[in-house]
Amino acid sequence: MLPPFLERAILAVILISINASLAGTFTIFRDASFLVAGAAHAALAGAALAIVVEEAGFHVPVLLGGLIFAVATAITAGYASGKGKLSGTEDTNTAIAVSFALSMSLAVLFISMIREYAARVWGLLIGDLFLLSYSDLKLMFASTLFVVLVSVIFHRAFLFISFDAEAAMAYGVNVRLYDYIMLSTVAVSVVVIMGGVGAILVFAMFVAPSATAAKIAGTVGSVFLLSFVISLICGLLGIYLSFNFPFSPGAIAALIASTTYFASIFVK
Amino acid sequence: MTGKKKMVEAKNLTCAYNGHTAIENVNIDVFRGEFIAIMGPNGSGKTTLLRAIAGMIKPVRGEVRVYGSVSYMPQKEHVNASIPIRVWDVVSMSILARNKKFILSFSLSKEEKKAVEEALNAVNMLELKDFPFTSLSGGQQQRVMLARALATKPDVLLLDEPFNGVDLPTQEKIISLLSKLSEKGITVITVVHNVSPLIHSISRIALLNKNLIAYGKPEDVLTPENTLKAYGVSIPVSVCEEGYLHPLFGDIHG
Repeated sequence: MLPPFLERAILAVILISINASLAGTFTIFRDASFLVAGAAHAALAGAALAIVVEEAGFHVPVLLGGLIFAVATAITAGYASGKGKLSGTEDTNTAIAVSFALSMSLAVLFISMIREYAARVWGLLIGDLFLLSYSDLKLMFASTLFVVLVSVIFHRAFLFISFDAEAAMAYGVNVRLYDYIMLSTVAVSVVVIMGGVGAILVFAMFVAPSATAAKIAGTVGSVFLLSFVISLICGLLGIYLSFNFPFSPGAIAALIASTTYFASIFVK
Repeated sequence: MTGKKKMVEAKNLTCAYNGHTAIENVNIDVFRGEFIAIMGPNGSGKTTLLRAIAGMIKPVRGEVRVYGSVSYMPQKEHVNASIPIRVWDVVSMSILARNKKFILSFSLSKEEKKAVEEALNAVNMLELKDFPFTSLSGGQQQRVMLARALATKPDVLLLDEPFNGVDLPTQEKIISLLSKLSEKGITVITVVHNVSPLIHSISRIALLNKNLIAYGKPEDVLTPENTLKAYGVSIPVSVCEEGYLHPLFGDIHG
């Protein structure tokens, strides 16, 4: 029998890998991989605001605050890039970078308004695979279910608008709407998983495995599958190594995932 | 060659992006089965005119009407060619979008499958239907995108620079395919940088530089005055054995 914390960590790695494979691959296809970091930091501002509001006597869950800000960032980025789609000035990552700066400045502003417990804000960025509670896992499970459902329903639309937004528009596809749905789903997935296992692991697991898979795999389906397998192996290796050596499992998993990506570029 | 039925009609068409006028007061009629070319220097609004006909952008002033179904093939450079989508799935996209089968995983009906197959066959790409788009050459990618536009069996086919990155034999094949389509009654409107290879096949040229400088038969459009107005230099023409005027673009890119 495995100790419960280890069971929870393994289960979390499986859930992270599903999220990373779906949400991560869509951000890679959409050329918006910076959204992962952007949404994570936007969530900080939301979390800080939630605590400010809480101190004023209204209870808003910190995670909910984070989610709202992250989704707002995703939609702002989608709007800004949509504006440039036809005039050839589309630049999603710049829009995300500016939203990133905006939300970080808001986060600092809100944190300075918090009288105590500001550490709870930063707590959203910090997590550990071995310190997960069952309620963390439940949330991660809910987010996984949400991401899987959205992907099953909309994957064709997501693919078409990522592959060729211009033609999609010409054939009457509501490109804006699907773009918002796709980017918001990624933001939700990022924030929920980050709340459980911390920012570093999310950055590494949502981008590196999908980017590696997209370089190697020959079909769309195999990009999703390969990115799941890479995430899973990195996560499990992280747990295994940290069990035997005094390292954080998340940091090891992130290290392996990023190294795999650079290795794939080198080999290709 | 041309039936009498009007398929596309633009009246005083003016379009802008974020406040910058791209085309102004364009008046154009295109009839059933016509094969026309839109030419002009870079930034002259060629793509904008196509997009307005496709209904992708709303005119600021004036109007554009299309009497039939439209297919649009964007420039290859606008496609994210790093996604390893299968050729078959690229071609299916237009049909799925047109038939609103985008939500969930609807599979193609028998007729839809047949349409995809026919379209791929028309551009000689059926054999590569299971290959990822990413693994194809530039010319093959263009042919797949043309197949995607053909798959919906449009009345009006709009093409943006379909010969970019296409080798000469393929270019000839595409031109002869487009000619055949226009003979069958499909209206073909294509934006081109260099109209020369098309001269034998097209009925009219629209010369654009924000305004429509000239619209008519190639010999009436390709006059020194018109090309000077459009490109800032007059473009020399040579007459081929069959009596067609061929503009010699050389290094002139507008």
